Amino acid sequence: MSREKDAANYAIVFFAAVSVLLLLFPVSKFAHTARIAVSYSLYPSLHYGARYGYFVRNVPSNFVKLLETDQENRALTDKVRDLEVRLRNASAQVAENERLTREMKLSRSLPWTGTWARVVNKTPADWYGSFFIDKGSEDGVAVNDTVLGMQDDRAGLAGRVLEVYPKFSKVLLLTNAAASAVCSISPGGFEALVEGKGTWLLRMNYVPEEAAVEPGAELVTSPGGLLFPAGVYVGKVTKVYPRESFMNFITADVKPAVDVNTLKEVFVVRRNIPGDLMTYRQQGERK
Amino acid sequence: MSLLIELALYLATGAAYWWWTQNLTVFGLAPNLLFAAALCAAILSGPVKAVAWGFFAGLYADMLGSGALGGWALTWSLMAYGVHALKRHFDMSSPFSQLVAAPALSWACLLFYQGLSLVFGRVSPVGVKIFLAEPFLNALAVPVVFRVFYGLKRRYGAL
Repeated sequence: MSREKDAANYAIVFFAAVSVLLLLFPVSKFAHTARIAVSYSLYPSLHYGARYGYFVRNVPSNFVKLLETDQENRALTDKVRDLEVRLRNASAQVAENERLTREMKLSRSLPWTGTWARVVNKTPADWYGSFFIDKGSEDGVAVNDTVLGMQDDRAGLAGRVLEVYPKFSKVLLLTNAAASAVCSISPGGFEALVEGKGTWLLRMNYVPEEAAVEPGAELVTSPGGLLFPAGVYVGKVTKVYPRESFMNFITADVKPAVDVNTLKEVFVVRRNIPGDLMTYRQQGERK
Repeated sequence: MSLLIELALYLATGAAYWWWTQNLTVFGLAPNLLFAAALCAAILSGPVKAVAWGFFAGLYADMLGSGALGGWALTWSLMAYGVHALKRHFDMSSPFSQLVAAPALSWACLLFYQGLSLVFGRVSPVGVKIFLAEPFLNALAVPVVFRVFYGLKRRYGAL
């Protein structure tokens, strides 16, 4: 037992002496540099602490420069990453700015007064049926106001305001199966009814056979329709169906002027339709 | 052969400690596996090996750190000597005694190391967070490390 105790005593004296020597005598420049190189490679975070000055004492200046370069490199890498994120955000804002500028320029040339609104909510279950905009009765929006969308530097009919709340409104799209508009076919000027189908296409009905409609013909709202102002671009005929033997008019598919999927802002045209006229119209619809 | 295994064990402990502190810290905290290894070696080994493990584990920690070189080596060498003296009177191989000894010795070592650093380097390396939390993490790590070391001792005669 005493032999073991002696061994323990000798061991602790030896190792304690070595430790104290390491503590007392400053290590050589080479050894200290090697130590810093090892610890810096394994624990770079230490170098961001307040003890940096103490840590790099007695170290060749070129090695200190190397460490500082590494730190600078890390800081710059972080900065570049941050700037890349900002650049991505900025390019999105530039694109939005360009789009809004184009739309504003276009809206100034429109003969109607109204207000701009953002599309704030689309419902997946009713994608081609309706959406909400961020303007309501507090902004002067009223039921049955016409909603226009801007596409290809041209204003097109998107739908009409169906419900109005103080701060937002619900828009019934022309592509909704319950929506329709009286249109005139250019260049002939024949009138027809364009109806929504709940899909991305519209259906044109009640076209007289002698209208000789061809694919590519453009449709604008007719003065005969009460809901929409006359002359608003509605869409373009894509396919004309031949007359059925039991019908005395032809039908056609129409591509809407406004693609609902890309619509972000809309222009709400104030209609100020007299209330009694709307009541009369609704009674007529019920009959 | 056992010397080679011990050398491998020493390097593996150092690598595990480094990996853990680089990748598995929680709020900047991790158990000090080098301390756990020094303590377990002191419990399992004879006097010379116990002090040698304390010294070399401390030297490894000194090499990694920015404090006074030799500070941890001296601290853990003295700890190993103390454990060697203690284990004659207490059963240090039971998990309960390890759970008690690990935090107590951790605090003692941190205080001693802080004193050494103030005297020799005029720096204060021990943060409050580490002082308060690390001993408890060490208490959880020591019984596990002890099981591993004990298994290696039985199978390969290491330590």
